[in-house]
Amino acid sequence: MQILGFTITGYQIAFVALAGLTVVAAIMTVLVPNILRAALFLGLALFGTAGLYVLLNAPFLAAVQVMIYVGAITTMIILAIFLSHRVMKIGFLQAIYNPVLAAGAAGVMFLFLFITVANSRWLKAIVAEGPTKANAGVEAVAQALLQPYVFPFELASVVLLAVLVGAIVIAKEDTEDA
Amino acid sequence: MHSAYGIPISWYLTLSAVLFCVGLFGMMTRRSAIGMLLSIELMLNAANINLVAFGSYLKMATIAGQVFAIFVITLAAAEAAVGLAVVINIYRLEHHIDADKISVMKG
Repeated sequence: MQILGFTITGYQIAFVALAGLTVVAAIMTVLVPNILRAALFLGLALFGTAGLYVLLNAPFLAAVQVMIYVGAITTMIILAIFLSHRVMKIGFLQAIYNPVLAAGAAGVMFLFLFITVANSRWLKAIVAEGPTKANAGVEAVAQALLQPYVFPFELASVVLLAVLVGAIVIAKEDTEDA
Repeated sequence: MHSAYGIPISWYLTLSAVLFCVGLFGMMTRRSAIGMLLSIELMLNAANINLVAFGSYLKMATIAGQVFAIFVITLAAAEAAVGLAVVINIYRLEHHIDADKISVMKG
């Protein structure tokens, strides 16, 4: 497709749409005073990221992102909001502190990162123009997880077990004190 | 896919930098522990985009980017579970979750 002399591909349109969705949702996440809405906007930002993973030729990761991030983590955060703002005694609204100072610091950080990305010569040397057509589907991920990365994979399951027990122990109401 | 794709990797890296800085801003402006946790998730997500982008753009094709991202997601879920358990416990003790005023651990 030609617009004003530039060739625009469908991939670019999809990227701009998904990136716009993700960035707007992320900005709303940090700016909205209502913490419950912020959590819902976080879910939207994570969903947009799942779309970007599809665009990056990583369909399995997109599914994982939707199931774990959007499905589990966002739900958990919303439940914690309900538990800790018990029937709105605190209220969901929160002030934004020192926005100018924080925006300045974040802006400096962004400038640094952007200059690093824009000036990098090494990037062109190692990176192709588009996603390389490696087999990046479920089978390749499974083979990588169970062959070269089997030790971290098993370690992750131990960590998850420890977290499962730890979270229950920490969150359990202390009946002796209460 | 190369010629029709038309998205250089710098687009993804810039997007990831924007998301990271938005998360950083949220981290500095929120006072409630849950608000800070939301910002941490944003920043982890930005790092994940970087990992996956490099994993699929490198000339020497590798699956490692996706595998790292899967580990990051796993640990983010673990971190969120423990963090929220701590937040709920602190709320039970102090009836607020303002990170500046929490004094449970003060001696």
